[in-house]
Amino acid sequence: MKTGTFEQVLAQPAQAEQLPPCGANCATGTDVRGWIAVVAQRHKLGLTDADAISQAWRMVADVNPFPATLGRICPHPCEAGCNREGKDGAVAINALERFLGDWGLRQGLSLERMESDPKPERIGVVGAGPAGLSFAYQMARRGYRVTVYDGEPKPGGMLQHGIPEYRLPEEVLTGEIQRIRELGVELRLGTAIGRDVSVDELRTQHDVLFLGIGAQRAQRLGVEGEDGPGVWSGTEYLSSVNRGAPPALGDDVVVVGGGNTAIDAARTARRTGARVTLLYRRTRQEMPAIAAEVEEALVEGVTLALLAAPLRIERTGEAVTAITVQRMELGEPDASGRRRPVAVAGSAYELPASAVIAAVSQEPDWEGIGSLYTGPTWVKTQPWGRIDEQLWAGGDALGLGIAGIAIAHGRRAAEALHAQLRGQPAPAAPSRAAVTGKAIKPDYYAACARTEAPALPAAQRLVSPETEVHATIGEAEFLEEVTRCFSCGLCFGCEQCFMYCNGKGFVRAEHAAPGAYFTLQLDACEGCRKCIELCPCGFLSAQPLA
Amino acid sequence: MAFVERTVKEGDNLAAFFEGGEERRLTLTDGSRIAVIGGGPAGTFFTYFLLRLAESIDLDVSVDIYEPRSFAYQGPAGCNHCGGIVSESLVQLLATEGINLPPAVVQRGIESYVLHMDVGTVRIETPLQEKRIAAVFRGNGPRESEPLPVSGSFDGFLLELAASSGARVVRKLVSATSWDTGRPRVTCSDGTSATYDLLAVAAGINSQALQLFQEIAPGYQAPKTLKTFICEFRLPREALDKFIGPSMHVFLLDIPRLEFAALIPKGEFLTLCILGDDVDNALIDTFLSAPEVKACFPDGQVPAPACHCFPRVNVEAAAQLYGDRIVWIGDSGVARLYKDGIGSAYRVAKAAAKTVVHHGISAEDFRQHYGPACGRINSDNTIAKFIFGVSTLIQRVRFLRRGVLRMTANEQQRRAARRHMSTVLWDLFTGSAPYKEVLTRTFHPEFPAMLGWNLLAGNLARRRANGSKGNAHG
Ligand SMILES: Cc1cc2nc3c(=O)[nH]c(=O)nc-3n(C[C@H](O)[C@H](O)[C@H](O)COP(=O)(O)OP(=O)(O)OC[C@H]3O[C@@H](n4cnc5c(N)ncnc54)[C@H](O)[C@@H]3O)c2cc1C
Ligand SMILES: Cc1cc2nc3c(=O)[nH]c(=O)nc-3n(C[C@H](O)[C@H](O)[C@H](O)COP(=O)(O)OP(=O)(O)OC[C@H]3O[C@@H](n4cnc5c(N)ncnc54)[C@H](O)[C@@H]3O)c2cc1C
Ligand code: SF4
Ligand code: SF4
Repeated sequence: MKTGTFEQVLAQPAQAEQLPPCGANCATGTDVRGWIAVVAQRHKLGLTDADAISQAWRMVADVNPFPATLGRICPHPCEAGCNREGKDGAVAINALERFLGDWGLRQGLSLERMESDPKPERIGVVGAGPAGLSFAYQMARRGYRVTVYDGEPKPGGMLQHGIPEYRLPEEVLTGEIQRIRELGVELRLGTAIGRDVSVDELRTQHDVLFLGIGAQRAQRLGVEGEDGPGVWSGTEYLSSVNRGAPPALGDDVVVVGGGNTAIDAARTARRTGARVTLLYRRTRQEMPAIAAEVEEALVEGVTLALLAAPLRIERTGEAVTAITVQRMELGEPDASGRRRPVAVAGSAYELPASAVIAAVSQEPDWEGIGSLYTGPTWVKTQPWGRIDEQLWAGGDALGLGIAGIAIAHGRRAAEALHAQLRGQPAPAAPSRAAVTGKAIKPDYYAACARTEAPALPAAQRLVSPETEVHATIGEAEFLEEVTRCFSCGLCFGCEQCFMYCNGKGFVRAEHAAPGAYFTLQLDACEGCRKCIELCPCGFLSAQPLA
Repeated sequence: MAFVERTVKEGDNLAAFFEGGEERRLTLTDGSRIAVIGGGPAGTFFTYFLLRLAESIDLDVSVDIYEPRSFAYQGPAGCNHCGGIVSESLVQLLATEGINLPPAVVQRGIESYVLHMDVGTVRIETPLQEKRIAAVFRGNGPRESEPLPVSGSFDGFLLELAASSGARVVRKLVSATSWDTGRPRVTCSDGTSATYDLLAVAAGINSQALQLFQEIAPGYQAPKTLKTFICEFRLPREALDKFIGPSMHVFLLDIPRLEFAALIPKGEFLTLCILGDDVDNALIDTFLSAPEVKACFPDGQVPAPACHCFPRVNVEAAAQLYGDRIVWIGDSGVARLYKDGIGSAYRVAKAAAKTVVHHGISAEDFRQHYGPACGRINSDNTIAKFIFGVSTLIQRVRFLRRGVLRMTANEQQRRAARRHMSTVLWDLFTGSAPYKEVLTRTFHPEFPAMLGWNLLAGNLARRRANGSKGNAHG
């Protein structure tokens, strides 16, 4: 009978893994805490540095076959919720991932198969962007025959044609795609569906199709003077640079837009030595581009013209000479919650321009393939990207996103399709509530400054426009940075519960592993709650005394 | 314990190696590194004295204190669990060493204590108006209390003191020890390790740390311990003033297995300590439902505690508490029985610090110069066991309880110059004096005579008053 005045305050621990914010926020759905743990706890796990790093690489590559690529370009939403942020800065997850990715390439690590028995279904993929390739990888490693079609001569989608060399060297991307090819995925490049291969032919060749066509069609500004030489869309401009055939821009380049494409176009144009002005109709706060990229653009000397919208492109004969700009102010919020820009009457002015790059937006291009999918411009799917049994989709075709989301779409579709084809239960929706706040004890962890990847000085960037702006951190920095992880929600073996329990409630586990360093012996528990209050990572939680 | 004092290196003069008598002694030299496991009172006092003594002879050594605990945490996570009584004599002693307890650390000055027995209650004022005691929190106060400034933690203050005298505080938990070519090596739970010239173990007994020495010191046997209970009740200040006052309340009740229990006021809290034979939930419940205890709370209602723990207390010293380059101090070695553990930690820590700085760090040095300090505490504890035996007898025998009550009450009423029983009880419960002195005082010729008289008178008076419950206090 437990009626005593004090027995009501007794409680005993439960060992319960909690979802960490990094993993919950990771665009690709990678177990960030898990792969960091393998390296950070390598001594306890009896792993050499090299074995631990390679194992961490395999854990990442399991869900994301592009760690060297995303380690460079991902806007790392994983870091945004990091519980270490308030102490001395979020763990530099993106820099860690980049090191791992480079390690994998340097060591020639290959992607792992999951099932060796060949499956009869023939899988076709339209688009060799990150969505299509991620899908192809996950299907191939499960034993499916996969063919990927892309109209472009090089694979990689926007990563290849959109993102500039100084942010993502081609060899890094090619190296990571090569590993997918080595799994047996066939890439049919320079083969556009609807141009080189018909939709009907495609259908007869494959039992199931995946649409990873991205959003290739640039939207127009819709202003006078837009047609004619001297005006390009952002993706058009960037892809011609990436193809090695940059157009001549002249001295005054005006880029219109506030997204990643606009920033990349502006920074790339700046590298030709031109004066570059970026025109955006709202304020910097509303810019959809990655904030750090905007910062880099400013460092490199791009001028921002905010609250400014193009009215007219002025030409003398064929040549672009200027752009007339309308000053804007922010009015009422629109459907997206952002304040709508409204024109300030009588405030138009002219900016000199030798070229205009319109990077306002893109949408999926259905030319020649309209019969494949008859829905709206942006693809609508059921969970996991399923349109119907034979047709699946993912990536930017569903809505403009980032590469990590495209990779996650591809993987989830593959998992669900595999389950469908093999008659297995559909995968469950992931839980998203991450452990934060009181359960985590930041002051337990030793102070340690965040590693910052070294950056090229701005002047140097303009001199050698193709050189990467940021470098990969070294092995020593990598091994130190992993120690900054709190391991939120999963035991990392700090030993405090074991050491301080007066009742000997914890016993060393025979096979130590992250989350399994000690086993609980509740018979011995005296109910003092000390272990729960000591556990720095929130792995132990309170439950009533049995 | 195996160790290599000095290996013969190429180019060493072999003759000098064998003859170098003085040189072969194990001592601290310039550049020596010392590891202290545990930053409680024993570890911090040891460090403080070691660094001070070393400085006075121009010896340049460094000390790393391994202490994972944050004394800024509230509740048992940030606390070294004890009643928090620091006797005035210890406060004074520390002051002479230059260690002054800051006012923020003293939660309350205790000016009297109240002895509760079933036969009545008696208040005892500070003998000779001087032996006041300080009540402190070892950590940052109980769970859910108003956070104290970090300096409000007694142990936090001491650790800060050690750090400011030049020690490096390593916030890591020691999870293994080993010998590294004859020198102690400490490995932490994060996998890092370091080798030292001397290892001082001050990890107390409220952790599993003492298991870490089985391999490197097979002779060491951890102290025998007893499970105790501490909890904190949050009470309104007015209620504390009215029911408790500036007093420590001691209970000698005839409850099976109960040795001793005390209530100590601190700020907005009332600390309860229960010592006994295997304190368990049943014993705690029985104690909390005793009328003498309930009477100390408003409306006779004992609230649910805000904080509680079951710390262990050292009841029999460790065996073989030193070796070459290694020494155990504080609770993980010897401590005074049932009281003044902080005071005894101070004494042995100072003796150990003197030994390593002025004599050496071999087992023999410790035996000659550190052993006696431990021995004194040990033999005092033997006396303590006798005294506690008597006090247990008093607890069990109503006849004796009446005598003690009457003698004390009379002394208090008469404000007599010679307060034999009062002083004996005071010292017994506050730890103001060694047990030997306590016992010696009972040998004062007047003591047995007075006690005898009071035993007689107390019990006669009882018979005359016809069994109505006496209260010498009210
Ligand atoms: C300039 C720019 C910068 C960016 N910067 C970043 C960044 O820093 N970080 C980030 O995470 N994301 C960034 N993004 C977004 C990211 O590139 C995309 O979200 C991602 O590439 C979408 O992947 P996807 O596979 O869905 O489509 P895409 O990458 O667009 O790939 C689609 C592929 O399908 C092919 N295709 C289309 N139609 C057909 C057809 N009919 N037949 C055959 N092939 C076809 C295309 O040729 C293309 O290769 C950027 C995008 C741009 C444009
Ligand atoms: C119920 C009760 C009431 C008491 N009341 C009083 C009283 O009123 N007055 C009094 O003077 N004494 C009292 N004592 C005794 C007193 O608490 C102890 O004697 C005193 O704390 C001993 O000090 P110490 O430094 O040896 O050990 P502790 O105070 O126990 O300190 C040991 C330190 O070592 C650290 N440690 C443990 N394991 C490791 C590890 N593996 N690695 C690194 N660090 C580690 C701990 O975190 C801790 O800080 C009481 C004891 C009990 C049980
Ligand atoms: S520290 Fe030990 S006794 Fe206290 S709640 Fe945890 S398991 Fe139970
Ligand atoms: S206190 Fe440390 S060892 Fe124990 S469960 Fe939490 S993280 Fe793991």
